Amino acid sequence: MWKEIGDREMGKIRPNSFSSWIKSNRISNLQLSNNKDIVSPHRGSINSLQVDLTEGRYLLSGASDASAAVYDVQRATNYEGNGLIAKHKCLFSVDKQHGKGHKYAISSAIWYPVDTGLFVTGSYDHYIKVWDTNTTQVVMNFKMPGKVYRTAMSPLATSHMLIAAGTEDVQVRLCDIASGAFAHTLSGHRDGVMTVEWSTSSEWVLITGGCDGAIRFWDIRRAGCFLVLDQSQSQLGRRPPVLARSAANKVSVSKSLSAGQNSLGKPRAPQKKYANGHGMKQLTIGRMPAKSSARQRLHPGMLSIQDRATAHYGAVTGLKVTDDGMYLLSAGSDSRIKLWDLESGYNTLVNFEMVRLQTSKAIQLAISQETAQVFVPCMTVVKAFDIWSGKMSLAFRGHYESVNCCWFSSQDQELYTGGNDRQILVWSPCEPMTDDTDTAHTKDQDNWSD
Amino acid sequence: MDKGKKRRREDEEIEAVDSDANHSLSLEQNLSFSDTLVALRMMRAQFPHIDKSQLYSSVKDRTQVDRELESLRRDKVVRVFKLNTGQDDHGIMFLDDYLKQVEHVVKRMEEKKQCDLQVFKWFKVHVIESKLEPCIGHQELYALLSLGGRMKDEHISLLINSGFLTHQLIDPSMYWFAIPNIGSILKGLSQGRKELLSLLNRRRYKKMMLAPLEKKHLRLSPLDMRFHLRDLIGSGHIKTVHTPTGIVVRVSKD
Repeated sequence: MWKEIGDREMGKIRPNSFSSWIKSNRISNLQLSNNKDIVSPHRGSINSLQVDLTEGRYLLSGASDASAAVYDVQRATNYEGNGLIAKHKCLFSVDKQHGKGHKYAISSAIWYPVDTGLFVTGSYDHYIKVWDTNTTQVVMNFKMPGKVYRTAMSPLATSHMLIAAGTEDVQVRLCDIASGAFAHTLSGHRDGVMTVEWSTSSEWVLITGGCDGAIRFWDIRRAGCFLVLDQSQSQLGRRPPVLARSAANKVSVSKSLSAGQNSLGKPRAPQKKYANGHGMKQLTIGRMPAKSSARQRLHPGMLSIQDRATAHYGAVTGLKVTDDGMYLLSAGSDSRIKLWDLESGYNTLVNFEMVRLQTSKAIQLAISQETAQVFVPCMTVVKAFDIWSGKMSLAFRGHYESVNCCWFSSQDQELYTGGNDRQILVWSPCEPMTDDTDTAHTKDQDNWSD
Repeated sequence: MDKGKKRRREDEEIEAVDSDANHSLSLEQNLSFSDTLVALRMMRAQFPHIDKSQLYSSVKDRTQVDRELESLRRDKVVRVFKLNTGQDDHGIMFLDDYLKQVEHVVKRMEEKKQCDLQVFKWFKVHVIESKLEPCIGHQELYALLSLGGRMKDEHISLLINSGFLTHQLIDPSMYWFAIPNIGSILKGLSQGRKELLSLLNRRRYKKMMLAPLEKKHLRLSPLDMRFHLRDLIGSGHIKTVHTPTGIVVRVSKD
């Protein structure tokens, strides 16, 4: 350790590699924290965890008993065990007793990306509420047509304040905080949308994963999705090789031809967008009322509706984009995790050894960018896999029941996990225990030896 | 080549493969090997249908298996089929084995009654050669078969009846490719898996030494015990532990 510090001083090691070396050392000995404990007031399973993006200090959790709570993970509220164990109680919590609170389970609770003054919760009672943190009051209320599975706001957005909501309805809705109304809806999925994520490289790109197994990429400024991930289109390696591109292109061209000829059994209902709330913008449609023999004439942007490629054989239950915006990890209810190269849209065929993932609820994945590891909740264990090789490197066993969500704080290299057993566990790099001889000295001064 | 081979395979399989390799393949064909291809050939010697999870059990790096399988599939050496025994099972067959199977079925249908057998020829020539994925859409199938001659809807039902195509449950206009006469094997596969897992689960500590386990016979499955062991090890339901007295097989508890 001192040798590395000396090298860094000399300039032999660059600052980035020095810090990632330290971080990977700390991550490799992550274990259940023996000096930090989060006391959760929830009486239902924990569905969502997020540490705020601005300071990395406040943890927001949403649970099945319609309660959401905020904890300060850097300063403890009180100490126990002779000052050794830091207990973090919640700073405040909103639940059913609150007049305007949610009535059913909260499935997703996220911070407003710009500062911690607002947070957004989405719940199975079909509402999305925006709360003011300091006064714990509901500022805005959006009614959705179905149970809300996931909400997301873009961490990069400077020109819009849209909440993307995935519900059990086939359309993804964008709610605008600035105006209090719905901005637009995105259609293309054929079943409920379980996961929604914004891209980390562009503030206009939204990625959604549905119960039909499809992962779609939307540019919210245009109609329709511009990419549907297909698990049969794959590339052998992290980046597509230059020569093999021509072969891969032939496959994709023939596929789009066949997709164009598919006659749709489903009626054109998803194309109708009804006004929900005041200023609603209708995105598409220059649809001809007269139908041709087997095909409907569609707005060119909506041709993606006919693309039925699936990314997973079951529902897509978790999505996570890497911080550099180049790769996407998706988890499905077919118990597979797939790594996608976002530039080419192909499956990189990395095999993550899984036995089972929970199928009914969405799970939250976490990625550690420096060490290229992904933390996946698999039933009662949280496993850490290396992204490029798919090998399991760490397993965190501590929960009594299934784990639903996890969040990795790359600032402190701590992992927070929440599960059906109503606990939020903290996993931190093990610190050496404080030396007991210090306290012994002050108490019994005769007890010394050379 | 470090393939994680288990001791029990070494005796029998190596001689079979060596003699096989000497006769059938010339040097330029098998100059560049991949671990996956060798593992596939070894398992094909035992049984023409291979399960993808068995490949994972014999080659250590799973990502490498996936990638090599993908390149073999693109080179039309093997063909991958999706099986309907739950989760994400894929069956792998060498392309020439599959074509032999096609001819076998055609011959049997010729003997039984006279139907439009030309559809099988069109199927073999147009569809199998060009469509490498395990599924195909209705329109595309129609288009490809029409390249051979005039297509009728009865031809597609003939293909389904003889076992080459199956309807997808979720999407009525897509078909999975299938291997004819595979029903008994699939039934044996799922029954054998359940039986082997229950055999281990009934034990007090849910583990057993590999050597006596191999010698047991499975009541409900016509397939070999070693087939099922490889399959379950590859899919992660069973783990092996190397101990000083031998290999111990136990049920994985995650």
